[in-house]
Amino acid sequence: MFNFTLYKREMKKSILTLVIFAGVLTIYITMIVQMFDPEMASILNQFSEIMPGVMTAVGMSGTVTTLIGFMSSYLYGMLLLLFPMVYVVLRAHGLIGKYVDRGSIVALVSAPIKRRAIAFTQMKALASGLFLLVSYITLLEIVCSEVVFPGELEIGSILLLNVGLLCLQLFIGGICFLASCVFNDAKYSVGIGAGVPALMYVIQMLANIGGSVENARYATFFTLFDPDGLIAGETAAIAGIVVLFVGACALFVAAIVVFSKKDLHI
Amino acid sequence: MSAIVISNLTRDYGENRGVFDLSLTVGKSEAFGFLGPNGAGKTTTIRHLMGFIKPKVGTVTIDGRDCWRERDIIQKQLGYIPGEIAFFDDMSSAEFLRFTAKYRGTGNAREKEMLDRFDLSPKGKIKKMSKGMKQKIGIVAAFMHDPEVLLLDEPTSGLDPLMQCRFIDLVTEEKKRGKTILMSSHMFDEVERTCHRIGIIRAGRLVALDTTDALRDKHVRPYTVRLDDEQTASAFAKDFDGRQDGVAVTVSTRQTLEQIFLDYYDVSGGDR
Ligand SMILES: Nc1ncnc2c1ncn2[C@@H]1O[C@H](COP(=O)(O)OP(=O)(O)O)[C@@H](O)[C@H]1O
Ligand SMILES: [Mg+2]
Repeated sequence: MFNFTLYKREMKKSILTLVIFAGVLTIYITMIVQMFDPEMASILNQFSEIMPGVMTAVGMSGTVTTLIGFMSSYLYGMLLLLFPMVYVVLRAHGLIGKYVDRGSIVALVSAPIKRRAIAFTQMKALASGLFLLVSYITLLEIVCSEVVFPGELEIGSILLLNVGLLCLQLFIGGICFLASCVFNDAKYSVGIGAGVPALMYVIQMLANIGGSVENARYATFFTLFDPDGLIAGETAAIAGIVVLFVGACALFVAAIVVFSKKDLHI
Repeated sequence: MSAIVISNLTRDYGENRGVFDLSLTVGKSEAFGFLGPNGAGKTTTIRHLMGFIKPKVGTVTIDGRDCWRERDIIQKQLGYIPGEIAFFDDMSSAEFLRFTAKYRGTGNAREKEMLDRFDLSPKGKIKKMSKGMKQKIGIVAAFMHDPEVLLLDEPTSGLDPLMQCRFIDLVTEEKKRGKTILMSSHMFDEVERTCHRIGIIRAGRLVALDTTDALRDKHVRPYTVRLDDEQTASAFAKDFDGRQDGVAVTVSTRQTLEQIFLDYYDVSGGDR
């Protein structure tokens, strides 16, 4: 069910991309953690009272008077949703769609390896890369916080928050991976794989603004990831990430089944 | 016993394209030539044998195993040269061959021998290689684990004449070593030199299926001419690739594949 040689190759490729993403995230995360300042936080609070629309659209709401509340607003509203999402979209395509589109999948399927095992290995590579990325983010957040504001960060909450982030990104990965397995043409596999999560995010942004479009949040899976709820340890928020995780598993299973049964005109 | 059995295989892509009610068998240790012009349905048939696509109608088996359901088991003893080579661009050919051997888990006992045969030094990225070089890598990858069954889809395309000859020699040797070979081509010559039996496919339908000798006899027209003296006869035989017997020289015209097709086309047309 698993091919180590293939896994090794894919992880090597993933690491290259991961290094770039980790580099950019390092800059942002350290900058944002350093920006935390209870006084400054109250200024920002005032700012969001003056211009509520702009701030909430990018997810910057909630209490920003605690360090984790601040991080939740300024990192988990947009940055940590979009960056790992771009990684996931790129890698999910690179792991299946690109091979099929270019025909080089022939090198993988003309071997005594079950299609199931190929797709499972690729899925595992995608999930492993994501796990590495979120682990790095978690570690960086903890280290940064401890250096700049020792003892200020609630470790339990930040861990739960990042478990939630991992579930959300796995779900997005599931969408991209399934699209990669269904469509033979990169145009469609990338279009759907990247398009659906991007559209969902835009809907989420609109819903955040509130008003008449507030109900739109029921139309997007981003709602299932509720950073403030997770920090507060709300059951609904935890249920949300469980749903995301189960959904991700279902998407991956569907993708593996589709890939095993599809015709490959290569 | 037949190693490869295709029965009533149909795959309709519309507009009379695809493969229609195709049945043929290739015996164990037999070399079978699968001839047809571009778009005849050769690659489509081989894709079914490889388990890339599932038969809509009919069945395909190799060594009694279903090519779709048991493809991973069949692949253990199978070597395949794709009609269109598309390998991993990011690897060098040495890396690709090493990867393939490990990934398949079937070894690379003959890799070095194959590289030598085709004067290939596996350096440089695959992306930067010419079509012929890529084709050679494809050949090495197909033969390096010494498989029992070989599915070769237009294997000489892109090779220069010298390498084509070496490839033909390789196929002939493998046939002698008891391998089962199905080789597709649009050139009568190379199939004639290697294969015991030939199937001709046109527009997805099998139009002829016979031994190479029988087909050759049907399509080669010999002429015997008498020349003035033996010296002229010898020169004539040399120039026209004929057989000399005193002042008589027998030369034969070879029909092109297209002419052969047209022959079969007429015959089947007349039957209807
Ligand atoms: N995936 C596909 N979708 C639609 N038509 C196809 C597909 N694959 C092949 N065909 C058509 O089927 C016919 C046979 O193709 P192919 O088997 O590749 O021919 P050959 O290998 O003999 O040149 C061609 O007309 C081709 O255009
Ligand atoms: Mg072809």
